[in-house]
Amino acid sequence: MIKNKKLIIITILFIIMLLSLYLAIYAGYKDLGLNLLKKAFNIGNDPDSLILNLLRYPRAFKALVAGSCLALAGMFMQAVSKNPLAEPYITGISSGAGLGIVLSVLLFNSVNYSLFGFFGALISSALVIIFAGFSRFSITKLILIGLSVNIFFSSLISLIILVNPLKSYTMMLILSGGITTNEVISDKILLLMFIIGLILSGIFIPKLNYLRLDSELLESNKGRKYLYTVAVIIAAAFLTSLSVFSAGILGFIGIIAPQISRMLFGQDYRWLFVSNILLGSSLILFSDYIARTVIFPLQIPLGLVVAFIGAPVFVYFLTRKGDMFRD
Amino acid sequence: MIKIRDLYYSVENLTLFENADLEIPTGKLTIVAGPNGAGKTTMLKLISGIVKPQKGEIISEAKELFYLPQRIKYPQGITLTEYIESYFYKNNWTWFLSKQEKNKINDAISLMELSDKKDVLIDNLSSGELQKANIALGIVSDADLILLDEPTANMDLVNRIKVLEFIKKLTQKGISIVAILHDINLSVAYGDWFLGFTKNHKIISDEKEKFFTAENLKEIFGIDFKVIKDNEDIHIQVLN
Repeated sequence: MIKNKKLIIITILFIIMLLSLYLAIYAGYKDLGLNLLKKAFNIGNDPDSLILNLLRYPRAFKALVAGSCLALAGMFMQAVSKNPLAEPYITGISSGAGLGIVLSVLLFNSVNYSLFGFFGALISSALVIIFAGFSRFSITKLILIGLSVNIFFSSLISLIILVNPLKSYTMMLILSGGITTNEVISDKILLLMFIIGLILSGIFIPKLNYLRLDSELLESNKGRKYLYTVAVIIAAAFLTSLSVFSAGILGFIGIIAPQISRMLFGQDYRWLFVSNILLGSSLILFSDYIARTVIFPLQIPLGLVVAFIGAPVFVYFLTRKGDMFRD
Repeated sequence: MIKIRDLYYSVENLTLFENADLEIPTGKLTIVAGPNGAGKTTMLKLISGIVKPQKGEIISEAKELFYLPQRIKYPQGITLTEYIESYFYKNNWTWFLSKQEKNKINDAISLMELSDKKDVLIDNLSSGELQKANIALGIVSDADLILLDEPTANMDLVNRIKVLEFIKKLTQKGISIVAILHDINLSVAYGDWFLGFTKNHKIISDEKEKFFTAENLKEIFGIDFKVIKDNEDIHIQVLN
């Protein structure tokens, strides 16, 4: 009975994702309409097909990657820390990415800043994980070290922005999050990395169902517990870096998608895996649609739209089902 | 057999154990008794390897260990069956459990007489039922050493007796069980081997007949008891 209910909710989430995908691809200032569905897979030279192939598809694809990666990374962090506030960005990954981006603009005037963001995220998460492993690994220590790295790098970013007034606008705009085009790494490679990320996540889903047991109860099996925890955090860091590569820095998704999923499905990570992919990608796809259409021809930074849509949706869920967050 | 040799462990300035030597037999129900703060939980944590002795050594032959802490934080929004399933994902890399594993879970749940609650969310179970669910978790763990920190504290009298009967049966399969219990008469009824922790951090370790004497109990709890021995039966009363 419970299983059927969960299936119905998953189906609804899937439909919402498809609708968002439809809006992201086929709706825009140049409204392309449903009739283009037929043409979608025939590469032609007419302007409509070109818009689809060069702009809309890659953009929708990156929105999907960013949304699902962030939601999954958030779910991973919260699962191993047993703390609903743990998310990939709090733990220093975002500021590492931000620093990479700002440096790329500063030093190279780079349009390929997403690659720098990707490596910045990887480097800072590696730093945090290594520091958390000194003497004895602990997830709480990891979060606190992440916070410290975060505040350090963020201050560095602010400093760089302040002393470079000519480039500060570009930097601020990029840091607010947005889907980027990148010529260095093709969408095919991104697709490959995304699939690797999903497989990696899928492999560790059963382990999250083990780690949901009481942490003291798991303590007598320390070796396993730490092995799985570290593996899951590395997966989260990789996923977050991928999302930075696709859509810059987007906070908040890593908290709301996993927490709404948890309110809907409980702590069965097999359901949560699917739910987070659907919810996370829907939210970014829809936000990106709003970001590029609502005050056309201006584009609102994606990160701001995510916040404007995400915060009220999250508060709505909390007022309805927030009872599960007892102190 | 678990052998503890020359154990020393202190917390802040308080020495909990000093030169402690004791043995815990295999395939028996060992009951740990003593006042609050005497170091009972710490001893279970030492045996389970969660905390390391500051001096001395603990030698255990156990291959697989299951430790049930006193206070447990439960996951939310999953059913009792799913809660028990969690333990199988320790070794499993598959997303779904096999038929055999599911049968094993069902058996453990019915042994704990929780079959009618197996699809109920654990958020809605009573604390006694949750404790029984944790015993079921211990059953499916396939451990040969089970450490239980006050496993029956929230159960009603009937359930306490049923669970202790059941734990006793587990020892017949060669499983060693160490449990902290505060109910002295139930301890007498079901325990095979006893560890008494005194307020002065001395450990008295003995079999039933020799353990339950008025002197030992006075030393452990600091109050007077009357111990009545009637053939095999031992009855204990608190003296005012």
